[in-house]
Amino acid sequence: MPVITQIADAVVATLNAATLSQSVAATRAYLPRAEVADLKTLKVTVVPSSVVNASASRSQSQQDVAIDVAIQKKPGNEQNASFDPLLALAEEIGDLFRAKRLETFPLAACIKTEFKTIYAPEHIENLRTFTSVLTLTFRVIT
Amino acid sequence: MADLLAQGAAWLESQRTKHLTTTVTYVRNDEQIAVPATIGRTKYEADDGHVVQIEYTDRDYLILTADLVLGGQVSEPLRGDLIREGPREFEVLDWRYSDPYRMTLRINTKHVGAVET
Repeated sequence: MPVITQIADAVVATLNAATLSQSVAATRAYLPRAEVADLKTLKVTVVPSSVVNASASRSQSQQDVAIDVAIQKKPGNEQNASFDPLLALAEEIGDLFRAKRLETFPLAACIKTEFKTIYAPEHIENLRTFTSVLTLTFRVIT
Repeated sequence: MADLLAQGAAWLESQRTKHLTTTVTYVRNDEQIAVPATIGRTKYEADDGHVVQIEYTDRDYLILTADLVLGGQVSEPLRGDLIREGPREFEVLDWRYSDPYRMTLRINTKHVGAVET
């Protein structure tokens, strides 16, 4: 199995084992696709994003593996009180991985967390749906 | 002098309502009302975000302005209201008047699933 999918699976396992402010049932997908109707419940999707290969030394190679985590839900209304917990969850997920190694794939250490889209205003405007995408970058030296 | 165009538009709207409508339920919070509506447009689209893709059915309803009576008075649609058509539920996202005389509302909705019982 490619390293990036092993890391994505380890991210899914970490998310599903974690105690967060909201119950999370993350899944891995190549093409994360949902219908608006499916987003009445929280959807967390882990998507392999990119790999950058480099030499770490004469004998070691380094891979920076980016994994996207999409957090999506259609709240009942557009009040801040509905969106705030979702943004808080996105932050919590970032904190869960920041500067840590993955338990089920300890070769990978998280070196960066970045909100590619802290939230998508167009999804709120056009679909009344919250979408946040967090990119986790893991470094693997072998 | 009578406004013939306005009279003609009113007649056309009455014909549309009489012959080209289906009864839907318009819902706002705990209130609901049965209104005749014409299904104006239905599209299936996908919002292709950077990482995630959301698919949705877009649907317009034409409803007489005078028919949308909520809380005892004629009301304008509000974002988040629901339109139930049979077992399916559509959420109001936007609306505008469909004609220059403001006789008909064109209400833009998106399918949000089955009616919850």
